[in-house]
Amino acid sequence: MSIRILFSTLRRHSMMPALVLLQVAVACAILCNVLFLVWQQLQPMLAPSGVAGNQLILVDRLASPQRAFTTAEVRGGEVALREVPGVRAATAAFGLPMVRGNLMDIALQGPTGVKVGVNGYLGAGLIDVLGLQLVAGRDFLPSEYRDFGIGGTHEKWSAGGPQPIIITQALAKRLFANGRALGRLLTDPSDKNDLGYQVVGIVRHLLRNQLGLATNGRADDTVLLARRIASTSTLSYAVRVEPTLREAALRSVRKVIQQHFGALLPTGITARVSTYRSRREAVFKSQRAALGLFAGITLAVVAVTVIGIMGLTGFWVQKRTRQIGIRRALGARRADILRYFLAENALIVSIGVAIGMLLAYLGNALLMHYYELARLPWSWLPIGAVVMLLLGQLAVLGPALRAAAVPPVVATRSV
Amino acid sequence: MFGYYFELAVRSLRRSPVLTILVVVLIGTGVASSMVTFAALRAMSADPMPGKSAQLYRPQIDNWGPANPDAHREPPLTLSYIDAEALLHAHAAPRQTALYQVAFSLVPADATRAPFAVKGYAVTTDFFAMFNVPMAYGAGWSASDDDKGTDALVISRRLNDRLFGGTDSVGREIRLDNHDYRVVGVAGDWNPQPRFYATGSIHVTTDHGDAPDVFLPFTHAVEQQVATAWGNYCRPDYKGTGWDALLHSECVWVAFWVDLPTPADARHYASFLHNYAAAQQRMGRFSWPPNVRLRNVPQLLAYVHAVPEQVRVSFLLALGLQLVCLVNVIGLLLAKFMRRSPEIGVRRALGASRRAIGLQFLIEAAMVGAVGGLLGLLLTGIGVYGMGALFTSKIARLVHIDAGLLGLTMLVSMVATVLAALYPTWRAAQVQPAWQLKSN
Repeated sequence: MSIRILFSTLRRHSMMPALVLLQVAVACAILCNVLFLVWQQLQPMLAPSGVAGNQLILVDRLASPQRAFTTAEVRGGEVALREVPGVRAATAAFGLPMVRGNLMDIALQGPTGVKVGVNGYLGAGLIDVLGLQLVAGRDFLPSEYRDFGIGGTHEKWSAGGPQPIIITQALAKRLFANGRALGRLLTDPSDKNDLGYQVVGIVRHLLRNQLGLATNGRADDTVLLARRIASTSTLSYAVRVEPTLREAALRSVRKVIQQHFGALLPTGITARVSTYRSRREAVFKSQRAALGLFAGITLAVVAVTVIGIMGLTGFWVQKRTRQIGIRRALGARRADILRYFLAENALIVSIGVAIGMLLAYLGNALLMHYYELARLPWSWLPIGAVVMLLLGQLAVLGPALRAAAVPPVVATRSV
Repeated sequence: MFGYYFELAVRSLRRSPVLTILVVVLIGTGVASSMVTFAALRAMSADPMPGKSAQLYRPQIDNWGPANPDAHREPPLTLSYIDAEALLHAHAAPRQTALYQVAFSLVPADATRAPFAVKGYAVTTDFFAMFNVPMAYGAGWSASDDDKGTDALVISRRLNDRLFGGTDSVGREIRLDNHDYRVVGVAGDWNPQPRFYATGSIHVTTDHGDAPDVFLPFTHAVEQQVATAWGNYCRPDYKGTGWDALLHSECVWVAFWVDLPTPADARHYASFLHNYAAAQQRMGRFSWPPNVRLRNVPQLLAYVHAVPEQVRVSFLLALGLQLVCLVNVIGLLLAKFMRRSPEIGVRRALGASRRAIGLQFLIEAAMVGAVGGLLGLLLTGIGVYGMGALFTSKIARLVHIDAGLLGLTMLVSMVATVLAALYPTWRAAQVQPAWQLKSN
């Protein structure tokens, strides 16, 4: 079957193919964009957090803007939390996964010149408390910790050398050419007087707390710094518990926090004590909503395209019943007829998809202009295209089979 | 004539049920997807104060200069107490209010009842007129209450129901934390969504939620050292402690609103604001040129992205989907109409004009559109219900179906179908009777 015959048929009856082409183009443009948006929403949800999620209780919103908590109050909270039955470890921290109130962003530059903006988590013994998996190097030494607080104590690193830092595997790969990061140096490009950082340990995963940036392989852009929380005006705690005693421990932790900080907090401010799991649930709630909306649109696009192509091609096949009969009478096999209609559909859909990819790109550019959306990468266009081609073939299968079933005798009948 | 065409349409729709069902499903899906996303968009972008929002302006002043962490040096949404106080004293707008969020523990007079938390705002008395707060009993406090900072209190209808069983409680006393307040007014139902008037961060400005329980004079709240329930935002080098230090600091925590009824007022106030910042620069408090904003409510809501981007984008995508559906409907109606060429030929030969044929097919299309609209209604209902499960409950409460949405669904599907039917109808009207009669 030469492609020339295909084209000449399309030229002669151009209305139906034109409509199929038009709808494929628009549907492809929508599909490329919506699938990309779905992926954007999904990435932070699918990224491994690296923490022992079912053993973690987080405490935050301990804030006292007028008068900072003293170091003794912060330590006292830690001690009381560790005494709660079922608690394995507890530490005061600044910056924790799924806690969006306290953000620390740090700029890091590796020897290759790559600059990465990362989130920093601070607190004594966080590897143990969060249950992180150390794949190389070591944890911070007790002598390496310096005091840290917001609106309170803030001890600068001034030990004459670079300060120790623990990074994730993903960061090690990005910042160092061969991925061998242990013992090597990182600098802060924004701070000229900085002594830099020396990588002492590497953890497998650690999800950042700026989840809006946790896309395109940036989910693990997180570091640990050797800081112990001292006098501070905003405070949070990470508590690791026995998974079996989690619910009981949660209640006791609430009580302990209330006893310790209830009187210290200004009116209207209440501490939030909840499990990592429930926070993750809450944090991703709007993400899930958007996902549902986009998934609904994707489904509708798929359904509409399949139904549409099926209906239009069905009519077009019916119109050509006589021609099919003639071809069959002249010796074409059923498989030839089937192949002809599949090929015809592939041709039309391909042209539609080519236009659609262009539309998708333009549409994305337009959306980006008006809304804060990410740029649709080129690599996403073929995905939408392949999906459309498969949908087209699926939709045309029914009508094509019907066409193949046309008996040669039709050719001899008048309409 | 219409009755006859109607009958013909029903007959034709029943003759090719598969094609009819396809068209109906396409119309229903298309219209439902755009209606569901439209309902979400409408709920989230509704004007929180129709008729008034365009004249309520929020002044913003950059009092941090280079220390401002915002990438575009946008001034913070709230003011420092220094600036709020200065603007209040300047009285450059017909009506103005400083505002911050407060929370108290309410101790009921009846000792057997447990204390409970109430939330509200410290405002000036202009607030009630500016934000159209209706009064069920009493009224807002007087201007002298504002100046002297008395213990006047306006409570919500809900709190009045809870404490006083809904009776006129003006003159009664309420104990908040350790201070007695005297009720001067009971607000009627008032809860604009989102709570754009609230203090603070972008998050709070787009907040949806319950109505405030209490309002008290701003001056009084400051004198009583009632802390802001939202919190304050201080420069990283802020070292002060205590209430007085906060009042004299550059920490931002007070929202400010002015009511500027005419564009001339707005221009006047904008230049006043600019001059104020310029004066601060001359005095040496700011070491940077004036960087101020004066946004009204719609501008503010756009600035803080009150409507989630995903909702806007999905509405646009749904419109695209509707276009795909229409393209399909054009094709399928063409198929449906052309299949009846012989019938058209007969009618034409018997004397029917092209117009009559056109009318017949447009009526048929409108009928298909109506049936598609019914399916669309069903799917819209399911979609809106599903949305309630998806979105956080506060927002989901706003997404609803009403008569307007139902009417719009039907209208859109019928108009869209008739538009899609124009070309197929034109083709049907062009059928040559002789051709059809000959071939039979």
